[in-house]
Amino acid sequence: MNDNLNNKILNVINLTKEFPGVKALNNFNFDLLKGEVHCLVGENGAGKSTFIKILSGAFKPTKGDIYINDIKYNYLSPHLARKIGIQTVYQEDVLVPQITAAENIFLGIENDNKFFINYKKITEQAQNLANQIGISLKVNEIYEKLSPPDQQFVKILKALAQRPQILILDEPTQAFNVKDIGLVIDMVKKIKSEGVSVIYIAHNLDEIMQVADRITVLRDGLRVNTHSINEPNLNTSSIAKEMVGRPVELFYKKNKTNIGDYVFEVKGLKIKPNSKEINFKVREGEILGIAGLKGAGRSEIARAIFGAIKKYKGKVYYKQKDITPSNPIKAVREGIALLTEDKKVDGLFMGLPVYQNITIVGLDQLGKVFINLTKERKLTIDYINKLDIKTTLNKEVRYLSGGNQQKVVIAKWLFKGVNILIVDEPTHGIDVNAKTEVYELFTSLAASGKSIIMISSEMPELISISDRVIVIRNYEISKELVGDEITEENILAGFMGGM
Amino acid sequence: MSNNKNINQNSNEKVSLKSKLSFLNTQITYLILVIIIVAIVASAINPNFLTLRNFFNIMQQVSVLGILTMCMSLLMISGGLDISIGNMAGLVAMIFAKMLIAGKSIPVSVITVILIALVLGFINGLIIAKSKVTPLIITLGMNYVFLGVALIIGGGRPQTITGQFEFLGEAKIGPVPVSIIIYLLILLFAFFLRRNTKYGRRLNAIGGNPQAAFLSGINVDLHVISIYALSGLIVGLAGLVLVSRLGMVRADSGSDFALQALAAAIIGGITFEGGRGSLVGAFFGVLLLGILYNAMNIIGVNSYVQTIILGAIIVIATVISNIGKMRR
Repeated sequence: MNDNLNNKILNVINLTKEFPGVKALNNFNFDLLKGEVHCLVGENGAGKSTFIKILSGAFKPTKGDIYINDIKYNYLSPHLARKIGIQTVYQEDVLVPQITAAENIFLGIENDNKFFINYKKITEQAQNLANQIGISLKVNEIYEKLSPPDQQFVKILKALAQRPQILILDEPTQAFNVKDIGLVIDMVKKIKSEGVSVIYIAHNLDEIMQVADRITVLRDGLRVNTHSINEPNLNTSSIAKEMVGRPVELFYKKNKTNIGDYVFEVKGLKIKPNSKEINFKVREGEILGIAGLKGAGRSEIARAIFGAIKKYKGKVYYKQKDITPSNPIKAVREGIALLTEDKKVDGLFMGLPVYQNITIVGLDQLGKVFINLTKERKLTIDYINKLDIKTTLNKEVRYLSGGNQQKVVIAKWLFKGVNILIVDEPTHGIDVNAKTEVYELFTSLAASGKSIIMISSEMPELISISDRVIVIRNYEISKELVGDEITEENILAGFMGGM
Repeated sequence: MSNNKNINQNSNEKVSLKSKLSFLNTQITYLILVIIIVAIVASAINPNFLTLRNFFNIMQQVSVLGILTMCMSLLMISGGLDISIGNMAGLVAMIFAKMLIAGKSIPVSVITVILIALVLGFINGLIIAKSKVTPLIITLGMNYVFLGVALIIGGGRPQTITGQFEFLGEAKIGPVPVSIIIYLLILLFAFFLRRNTKYGRRLNAIGGNPQAAFLSGINVDLHVISIYALSGLIVGLAGLVLVSRLGMVRADSGSDFALQALAAAIIGGITFEGGRGSLVGAFFGVLLLGILYNAMNIIGVNSYVQTIILGAIIVIATVISNIGKMRR
């Protein structure tokens, strides 16, 4: 690497942040060179967010020093961080929905005139900024009308408009589908070439390998290792191993299970009048993967089968019997479960206690009119233990981790007793260990004779869990893959519509 | 693994003890504390305050408000709201008075107006469930409809039935006024409906997250419509207690109750979020309002000032309960 690039713009020494009962960050050392992309990886709760919150001034460290351009700081305030030139783009950042992208980007810094905004000028500046980092964006569009990826670009441009020295990106590709992640990576490289240093946080290790100059692995608040991307033998599984502290197969090894006859069938399903009919069957004890990019219609197909949205036409059969549900009430009665993609929005009752969440669908087991509260308590404890949910009975679900929340959703449907589980992105937003637990759960459910239809955009998940995969493209089945045909290449080909 | 299970069960047992007292959550504890303070201050100034007779007096005064607060609480827990319940009670009372005056028998009149109230609640629920418009707007409109109909029925004049129907409002069983017994029975009914029935549990879920409830196979519309109808039925009872206590009725006799019931529910810890809060809390909310009024009367606080104090109490209670939420 070039010598003059080797000056440390940021150097953090023995940074520690304690919360009551937990050291979120423990003697953490980290440095950032000018014009480099330094990636932070670690499971949820490893300390990544704590670290970037200290850098952005949201948290005050318990101890440790922060050197920025060789000036020592004990802590940063949000104002100071901004003044020094540290900009953080959080995944959950909210901009003003009703104004244009350009106005959002320059909000608060449109300072050449005290009262009036020169719209033409900020539009021009926003456009230039976008061009500079090589993205195409309608800067005149109202923010809320932009697609989620474009909204993410606006957030990043807003940070860049402040001319930062250090740009912190927290999961910048969350809103993107697999195909477009490259856009973000190219953009980050452009930003880097402008001399900005980037701290990059992401879960997807393939993405990290493409974008990083260096990678620091965090686990339980401790720095495990820092790698240069040029190191020989550095690969995603060696990093993953460091993240969890023990060997973990990125590709979960599924036990072979006995698969029975076809029991569930979707026939002639059309969501839009002008798309081709969707036909597929699922066997007893089979896990059918449904692959597809965001917007390909995967979730809509799931909801249509469940009767939650109107379909143009189509029938659903279970053991040759027409059970086509016209609404979720009938779907549930026929033994179909839908585990939605965003459990916080429409899967869980976040403000209600765990036990009420678990028993709500299967209340009929607990009495005709009155609920047998003793029985409810006993059965709920059984499920909490069986699925190893780390919670107490009365805890509001909102206080549970993502993995435990997902287990509550699964428990809810198991409590009801269903034959067909349609699961939409079952491991979204949960950490590596919890993922493995969910996979084990699905495998054992399939072994017990339940059929699982799993919608996912995670390749390792689709490849290792599914017995069969169908690929959805534009509300149609573009490919069906069995056994050894289930590979990343074949699935990607299905996304693009290639044969 | 087995270790893990033990831990889990232990903590669950601890919780089970705690959950038996869960209706005494912090907000209720504060409420009881405030009620005790008000009682101590009031009885220090006037020893007549702390007598059983005065207690029954207070409870009797708040019985109509208390019953309506149960309606409001059940609706809010289900994610709804009905600010027409005050004028609905007034309308029902008006119809009842006109029926008695027209010479109809008490049983016939009682049954008729309770059925009417049920239908009025049903209409509210039907419009809200099917239109998906926020209940505030719908019931605000219906509030005026009910007032207008009551004005037409009464010809804009008060209708007096003194001495014809005193059982619900004025009679006593032993030392206890009937209106208090009715209030407590409705409280018990609502409490067990929420806590021990599948119907109540589903209402709770709908209040907590209607979308998740829909996808859990709950018939959301049916539950929403029926809880408004049930609330209407209870409003019918409140209207009867009201007319019985007053011995007369004006079209706007119930007008103030809806917002007071809303206030009492919020003071008691029921929230707009739905799915939360306890009906016992709402009971104490009503009690606090009643004791405050009574104490202020006994102490001799100017009635205009009373109104200001009442308003301030509502604001303070809401702010305090929100601070608790922010701490979480």
